[in-house]
Amino acid sequence: MSRDGRRKRDRDDNGWASRGGYMAAKVSKLDEQFKMDAPREKQKDGACSSIFTGVAIYVNGYTERLGGSVTAVYGLCARGPYNRRVQLLDPSADELRRLMMLHGGQFHMYYSRSKTTHIIATNLPNSKIQELRDQKVVRPEWITDSIKAGHLLSYLQYQLYAKQKGLSFPSVCVRQGQEAAGPSHGQTQPSHSLPVPSLNNLIPGLNNPAPSLGKPLSSHHTPTSSHSHVHIDNLLDQPNQYNPLAGDLNPQPSHSLPLPSHLNPQSRHFSPGHCFLSPYSSNHLYSDPGHIPHHPPSQGQPKPGCIRPLAPADTHSQTPGPVPAHPSHEHSKPGHAQPQSSLSFSNHLQHSYRDLDFRLNGSLLTYDKTRTAQINWVQEGGGEDPCPVRPTRGATDPPLTNGHAHPVNGALKPLDLSPNPTRPTDTPLNPDRKSTGGSGSLHPASPLSNSPLKSDPPKLLNSPPRNPTPPPVSHHRHHEQLTNEQRLKPPPPTYQEATAALASRPLILPPPKPRQSDSPPEKPLPLDNPNRSPSPVRLNGSHHNAFTPNPAPLETNNLSAIPSNPAPPDSDHQSALAKTGGIISEFYSHSRLHHISTWRSEFSEYVNTLQSRRRSTGGATFPGRDRLKRQRREGSSAAPGPQSCILHVDMDCFFVSVGIRHRPDLKGKPVAVTSNRGPGRVAQRPGVDRQLELQYYQRKYSHAGVSERKDGDLEEMTSAESHVSHGNGVDLDTTCLSMAEIASCSYEARQAGVRNGMFFGQAKQLCPSLQSVPYDFQAYKEVALAMYETLASYTHNIEALSCDEALVDCSALLAELGATPEELASAIRTDVRERTGCTASVGMGSNILLARMATRKAKPDGQYLLRSEEVDDFIRDHTVTSLPGVGRSMGAKLASLGVRSCGDLQQVSLQQLQKEFGPRTGQTLFRFCRGLDDRPVRSEKERKSVSAEMNYNIRFTQVDEAESFLTNLSMEVQKRLQGAGLRGRRLTLKVMVRKVGAPVEPSKYGGHGICDNLARSVTLAQSTDSGQLIASEVIKLFHAMRLEVQDLRGVGLQVQLLDGAHSAPHDPSGPKTRSIRDMLLAQRPPAIHNHTDSLADAPVADSTTNQGKSSSATVPPPFSTLRPPSPADPIPGTSKEELLPSTRTPNHVRTRLNLSIEVPSPSQVDRSVLDALPAELREQVERSWTHRETERSHNGSHHRPSSPHPSSLLSSPSSPPPPAALPVGTLVLQIPNQPGQPGSTGIILELPDFSQVDPEVFAALPRELQEELRSAYGRRETAQAQGIIMAEQRNPLLQLKQVGASRVKRRYKKKNANSSPTKKGPSPLKRPHPPGNSPAKALQHPLRPRDLSNGLKLENGPSTSSLKQDVPETLSKFTPRPEPTLAGACDFTDIRTLLREWVTTISEPMEEDILQVVKYCTDLVEDKDLEKLDLVIKYMKRLMQQSVESVWSMAFDFILDNVQVVVQQTYGSTLKIT
Amino acid sequence: MTTLTRQDLNFGQVVADILCEFLEVAIHLILYVREVYPSGIFQKRKKYNVPVQMSCHPELNQYIHDTLHCVKPLIEKNDAEKVVVVIMDKEHHPVERFVFEISQPPLLSISSDTLLSHVEQLLRAVILKISVCDALLENNPPGCTFTVLVHTREAATRNMEKVQVIKDFPWIVADEQEVHMQEPRLIPLKTMTSDIVKMQLYVEERAQKAS
Repeated sequence: MSRDGRRKRDRDDNGWASRGGYMAAKVSKLDEQFKMDAPREKQKDGACSSIFTGVAIYVNGYTERLGGSVTAVYGLCARGPYNRRVQLLDPSADELRRLMMLHGGQFHMYYSRSKTTHIIATNLPNSKIQELRDQKVVRPEWITDSIKAGHLLSYLQYQLYAKQKGLSFPSVCVRQGQEAAGPSHGQTQPSHSLPVPSLNNLIPGLNNPAPSLGKPLSSHHTPTSSHSHVHIDNLLDQPNQYNPLAGDLNPQPSHSLPLPSHLNPQSRHFSPGHCFLSPYSSNHLYSDPGHIPHHPPSQGQPKPGCIRPLAPADTHSQTPGPVPAHPSHEHSKPGHAQPQSSLSFSNHLQHSYRDLDFRLNGSLLTYDKTRTAQINWVQEGGGEDPCPVRPTRGATDPPLTNGHAHPVNGALKPLDLSPNPTRPTDTPLNPDRKSTGGSGSLHPASPLSNSPLKSDPPKLLNSPPRNPTPPPVSHHRHHEQLTNEQRLKPPPPTYQEATAALASRPLILPPPKPRQSDSPPEKPLPLDNPNRSPSPVRLNGSHHNAFTPNPAPLETNNLSAIPSNPAPPDSDHQSALAKTGGIISEFYSHSRLHHISTWRSEFSEYVNTLQSRRRSTGGATFPGRDRLKRQRREGSSAAPGPQSCILHVDMDCFFVSVGIRHRPDLKGKPVAVTSNRGPGRVAQRPGVDRQLELQYYQRKYSHAGVSERKDGDLEEMTSAESHVSHGNGVDLDTTCLSMAEIASCSYEARQAGVRNGMFFGQAKQLCPSLQSVPYDFQAYKEVALAMYETLASYTHNIEALSCDEALVDCSALLAELGATPEELASAIRTDVRERTGCTASVGMGSNILLARMATRKAKPDGQYLLRSEEVDDFIRDHTVTSLPGVGRSMGAKLASLGVRSCGDLQQVSLQQLQKEFGPRTGQTLFRFCRGLDDRPVRSEKERKSVSAEMNYNIRFTQVDEAESFLTNLSMEVQKRLQGAGLRGRRLTLKVMVRKVGAPVEPSKYGGHGICDNLARSVTLAQSTDSGQLIASEVIKLFHAMRLEVQDLRGVGLQVQLLDGAHSAPHDPSGPKTRSIRDMLLAQRPPAIHNHTDSLADAPVADSTTNQGKSSSATVPPPFSTLRPPSPADPIPGTSKEELLPSTRTPNHVRTRLNLSIEVPSPSQVDRSVLDALPAELREQVERSWTHRETERSHNGSHHRPSSPHPSSLLSSPSSPPPPAALPVGTLVLQIPNQPGQPGSTGIILELPDFSQVDPEVFAALPRELQEELRSAYGRRETAQAQGIIMAEQRNPLLQLKQVGASRVKRRYKKKNANSSPTKKGPSPLKRPHPPGNSPAKALQHPLRPRDLSNGLKLENGPSTSSLKQDVPETLSKFTPRPEPTLAGACDFTDIRTLLREWVTTISEPMEEDILQVVKYCTDLVEDKDLEKLDLVIKYMKRLMQQSVESVWSMAFDFILDNVQVVVQQTYGSTLKIT
Repeated sequence: MTTLTRQDLNFGQVVADILCEFLEVAIHLILYVREVYPSGIFQKRKKYNVPVQMSCHPELNQYIHDTLHCVKPLIEKNDAEKVVVVIMDKEHHPVERFVFEISQPPLLSISSDTLLSHVEQLLRAVILKISVCDALLENNPPGCTFTVLVHTREAATRNMEKVQVIKDFPWIVADEQEVHMQEPRLIPLKTMTSDIVKMQLYVEERAQKAS
């Protein structure tokens, strides 16, 4: 078993994981061989050197030898031909091996993280990039060039990817071909000196037919060629891009400043892409060209992400009026040129991306005013979007839009935002896209052209936009290029696909066939966004045609709207996917189930508003009713007075009829609405065991009736049982059929045996003439609304059941009209048909149940009145499963009782039913089968729960991903709670876990497969709608479940025990946060001007806010003198409570780096493992922790401003504003306020240690930038110097990260401890200390006053605010049960290690450290962990008393004394120390 | 999978059952290890998969049993803060106090799947620690007796008087003499933290036992 298991594992993780003994032996043998061969080789060749001493390379993925295995693993990459071509030009692996032998280096046949220093590759699939993000991946030219140069060249220039951190998309080295294929290369624009990717290059050798692609490769052998790196970064990781020195944020020092290679001005190569990309170049230049982030599925042009920190913020704040529209809302615009991209990317990072992008496009327009037609897609970016919200947002908090705050403004946000068009900035924008080609473009352009001038004029010199008249040809060319790109990037149906690496895309997605104009935009549209414009994509679509060499039918063409994706998977990307926060919003913006479910509540809401409107106006007009009344009068017939009548109005195969209502050619044909449009066959994906799943389901449903289910054991399922019909009715021979589900099918199709929910592939088999129609959510919504409006024209007693069915209580109406139900029904049906073009069926009965049952009979397109006297006969023959609430499982259970029809059910006694199904269900069944139903038609529904669930595409690899996912899901829930104005008290976390033994990859792509469903719930002390709070609780629950994150397949969150948020309308302490944006708007203190005069001032000001949290690894003092002396701030530790609002500027709002996702929290890391890591790696990990600390404190800051009146925070003792903090090494760029743009936000950037800055790189920077940096460093140094006064002679105790983490935990623990009634007395800490070294110092300890205040507060009764204040900080890294920690360590072995280091490395202990230890011990006492305390004390005693320095003995005595006092106070006795 | 929450009616009972069972074993073992009774009345049994000593003296057993029976309702309601086994010398001055400090963790929801085995592991560890605690403690003077004290939270005592679980076996307020110990020294024995209960056991020992 072990053998196979291991092998499998190795393959699973692509052979990069650690290996067992066999591999170790093999590796060492190969090493020896290499060493033996080396001298021989040297002799043979003669020319040898030792330039590569210390360098160990591993060649990955491009040679025959290794490439073979690699392609086997990454079969999807299909890089074969390309690789081979490369091989011809680049040195082969063997050659490299020889070269390394000759020149003193090492060549590793197998990759070793610790030993291999460089990885040689020419291109890598995304998954590998993910894995190698910490490594130096270098192109082979580095070796050849180094040899040529005779010394080891810096690998920086040869890096394959400028920044490998957090890639989700493969960055691909651009091969700039001077003489590369196509006429496009012929034209040169000298000013386009910047490395820009062209799509041809991005997907080299694949769709691009250019045979000459190979040639440009040679250019890489010349060191002068500009190695432009297209950094296709994971968009979610993009916060980095906002940093002009994004490398600094990158914990990887080696990549910290990748600028030079990109600044290289002498690159003479122009790829076709340059033409159209030119406008961006300027931005590249003065921002960080090293990170040209790429947004693969959208347009293919590089997004100068780095421009963002400077330009967008600048532009927004500097140009009050004409700010480009907010492109993020283009998701919701039907006419969007790239529906696929806009659909697929709804998370905010991508918003911002897109934003950037389009703004840039807008700028492009200024240069191309005359050619608007050619670049129509660009226009739409710049001019079309009439939604003006973005500017403000962008101006106030660009980082936020990219940061973790996103969940709040998730993909569904457009709904919230778009109806809010009154912004000062939107006036210049003409919503009419057609006419804005010229005018609209002007506006977006101006900021761009302004900003570079202002911020960094010299860079403009290089900037292509200066080039006033690019040759028209080039533009045409560029347009073609665009379309070409679009072709290469077919619209991915899911975000998943979108994120799928380039590597896999070419295979999966053949170029789209020309878009048909009838394919509607597949986006969910907010109702209030009526102006739909024809999609310009069609224009490009024709180009698609022209450029498509292989116009294979494209299944992805049709739909991005649903997640069911028939395309083959790339499991590597799935994980990358799952970790992305926006996926939730993404999912919800695409999930049809989600849409449909939202609509239901939306329509309920609609009905509610109708009701309330009627109430408020005291009456309503019912046009339909009036009309009917008139008709009645004309043909007056005596009306029977029906006692009660319920109408059940249900549209006939809603999706289908909506889908084909404008396509008469499809009427009467079998039609299915599905996401799949292909032939119904897709390639079988590896790792899928469909057979097993089939068997499982068959077995499950065949045994469903048996009370004791046997489905627990998958191994049991040996053979397929006799076929049992069930939902999908999958046949065994459908193995490679499309798994796209049919959402709805026409009656014609149903006759052929097609059923809703069937997989398309199978349906196609059943009914070969089946036509598929894409989803059209907008149309659904329109039609549904029309239907509801129709109904509302008769009465307001409507209960919305779903988007296409409603219950109408027409008893009163009929009585008033004197009409028969049939008359009303036919009137309604006629109306609906007239208004929507779709047919509806109406069932009528005396109660809801009967009405619904009658509808069955009425369908299709009919009506049926179930009279009370017919009820018995009618219902008797129905199967039990046709009763509402009787599903498959209950049906099976009933079947096991011998009950199949309602008639059978009537024979069963109530007692028996109640015994079997519980009192309520039993009663309901008993009544239902007799046609009894007393449920009223409730037009106003009370929600019982609010939930968000996602069971598609959940593939976590790390706990952190799951946590951030949960956080995001919580945010989604928060959004919904707040949308409904509700708060809930009970949280339920539902997870689906892959069943043991189930195939890792289910046959449905991204689906959940066979799962166990688990649920846990927790009841909160107070109802909440705070996503943060929910997240923290949920993460707790999640940890308590102890699941394998890899096996998670679905996560759901439900909030129950709801009460209206209105109950506490203006509770200032309550978590009233509506959105980050609101908070920002609310929280803009006037004192912001203080910060605006110079950017250099900002870091100091910011760092004042809280040192306790912000001390980073470089600045360890627990509190710092940086804080300007403030009268309100007598004790440093309490500054948190007493900070003036003016110091809390929105500057703190900062992107949350996605770093946190990748690195587990310190508590989760085995320290020994960490220690074993190479220093570089370790540093990286620790740095990312520090990052996270900052983030966490920022989290806190996000919450504080939720109160509408910042000043009230001061007055209310229960809600002290949690401090926001920045690490000291933070550079804040401040932009002066603009009148129209109050509260501009600075961009905050972190600087790496100065020592990490490559001086050459630094020198290569423009002078201004240099100065800026220098001043920032200078400032930081002074800050540090001040800090050092406090903690001179640092010791490992404090240097080992500590502070933030430990403090947070401790505070949390405090809370718990204090709320326990046993600890009523004052904490011993607060008493004067016994004669120690310095009691005064002890009082100064930053923790204490805060603890005190915290404790007091909590004893007063925990309020939401205090909870809230604590929780967000613990959010991102939550330990289920917080333990006392010493400098972050809580495990005893860690503590011991720490203490040992402390005692052995330092001759004289610092008082602060001693106090830390005392504090820790005290915590242990309070945590009632005397056992550990005992061990710690005993260990210290041994250590310290053995120490030669008598100081240590004294220190121990001091500690012991203090601890004894605490113990004495707590337990009345002292520890016995033996 | 079943999920228990603290709100479930039987949750407190489950915890109390587990704890009382454990306390019974622990008290027997303490009496054996601290030689309060002659070792002859003890028998080796197996509990939590480890050997323990259990008295076969029926009256002693009954006393322990009754005591714990009365403790149980307190634990159920989370009213018992500490259960203390006090070993007293002839003058009824305590020489050792085995303090089981019980608190219930804040986590509100638990699941039953891994719970029991996990708790058993923890309890086993405590038992083992008790059986070796004589290494940490001074010998007791001869002629010791023992009693069981319960430290309740807040007003639990008042309720207790109202609801007497066993007739003729009432709780009384402990004498100051029994509670107070001169120069106590604290020896932590074991801390266990599980989903359902957090308990630590420590011994308070009189500095001079002989006197």
